[in-house]
Amino acid sequence: VITITRAPPYLTVQDCGRSHSRASGVPQGGAIDSFAIRAANALVGNQVDVAGLEWALGGGAIRFEQDSVFALGGANARATVSGRAVAPFTTVHARSGEELVIEQISSGRFLYLAVNGGIDVPSILGSRSTYLPGHFGGYQGRMLKTGDSLALGSASGAPADGFHCGADLLPRYGAGIVHITRGTHSDLFDESAWRTLTEDEYRISVASDRTGYKLEGASLANAAGTLPSEAGCPGSIQVPGDGFPIALMADAPTVGGYPKIAVAAEADLPIIAQRSPGETIRFELITIEQSQRAFKRRASDLHTITQLAIRSSR
Amino acid sequence: MRIPNVEDIVPAYLALTVFYDALHVSYEEMSRRLLDACERPTQLRGAGIKPRDHRIPVHYDGADLDAVAAATRLSPGEVIARHTARSYTVDLLGFVPGFAYLSELDPSLHLPRRPEPRPRVPAGSVAIAAAQTAVYPLDTPGGWHIIGRTETVMFDPSRDPPALLRAGDTVRFERAL
Repeated sequence: VITITRAPPYLTVQDCGRSHSRASGVPQGGAIDSFAIRAANALVGNQVDVAGLEWALGGGAIRFEQDSVFALGGANARATVSGRAVAPFTTVHARSGEELVIEQISSGRFLYLAVNGGIDVPSILGSRSTYLPGHFGGYQGRMLKTGDSLALGSASGAPADGFHCGADLLPRYGAGIVHITRGTHSDLFDESAWRTLTEDEYRISVASDRTGYKLEGASLANAAGTLPSEAGCPGSIQVPGDGFPIALMADAPTVGGYPKIAVAAEADLPIIAQRSPGETIRFELITIEQSQRAFKRRASDLHTITQLAIRSSR
Repeated sequence: MRIPNVEDIVPAYLALTVFYDALHVSYEEMSRRLLDACERPTQLRGAGIKPRDHRIPVHYDGADLDAVAAATRLSPGEVIARHTARSYTVDLLGFVPGFAYLSELDPSLHLPRRPEPRPRVPAGSVAIAAAQTAVYPLDTPGGWHIIGRTETVMFDPSRDPPALLRAGDTVRFERAL
């Protein structure tokens, strides 16, 4: 069991999301930085798809009610456990009664906490993810509050205290470069729109949340207006009437009628997710084959982290 | 016949979107499998999902019923009669979980969306906008005209599939007693 002793402004249970209920209108959901939660799970000896906590907007504290192994990943935060500094993407062994204190998030947007055994909440439609707009999933379908206690699943062997995952195995969060492929409606945009999208910088608007990141910069002329609705996915870059693109994220509605000029490579979605309002990103066009190669490389990096973590425990 | 590595399929007006496991099959290979399947649709039949007919009882006491009657120059009774007279087809689901877009509303009831969406429309609200009608499955913001409410549960995450309606199903609304 872990107890939220001081809840941050945003804290939810998330895993890798729901991939079989889109036809019922259920968004994929899950951790908005799907790499960070998987890597954090690997660092504590969990299967990568078990549930952890997604944390944002400020500091807080959590008490371990049993001896636990945990890891933080994603955003960078000043964090301590009983006064010892906690480094990102590092395995930490904590004793029962110890408290993890996150003072503040210093860079990035969403921080993940994985605990060995995983957060044990009911699985709904194949996932333990919280879907806040629908009030279901996670812990009672809501954000976690101070005083909430969460059960943990049964843990197996954990990696060694201090095991650290090298930066070469992580997405290049700092660079802000996001690779894109042509979207289903890319033909509805002329060459000048494409030049603008791939040559200009875009700034993350304050109107950005788990459903989508609104981008500010040069507007893209959209001759198509609105189209008959069809499915999109996290990473779809759609262009509403005002010409300012929106990158759809984890909780985006399953269907929409704005033309999609491009799709962000799944491997680079964590890079968008971790950009805060005011920070910039730059798009680079690649082919679908390149995008799928990058996706496989990310999966292979995760596999490497898992293998190294297992070896550290021997 | 089932196509391997397919995770999810989302039908819509002019597109059928297929989600697949890209770790185990390439875009090129999946495109080939899907095009093959399109050329041999008979082998997919039988595994297909049959459309169902639904009857949804409605209490026609919505907040906008009188305004809709005024705007369409019909009596409230006539609005109800025209809403219940037709069988609607589910075009697609989306917007929020379980929200089914039902098409071919009687042309005399076509109205643009409300200029100001309501911040909260209660779950079960039966509404119309332009050529469509729908039931709000969850408490959400909404800009459609509310003409009634139903006790039928349109979305329940504890059942699978969670949405009552599927694309292709038909729906008839009935006046609740």
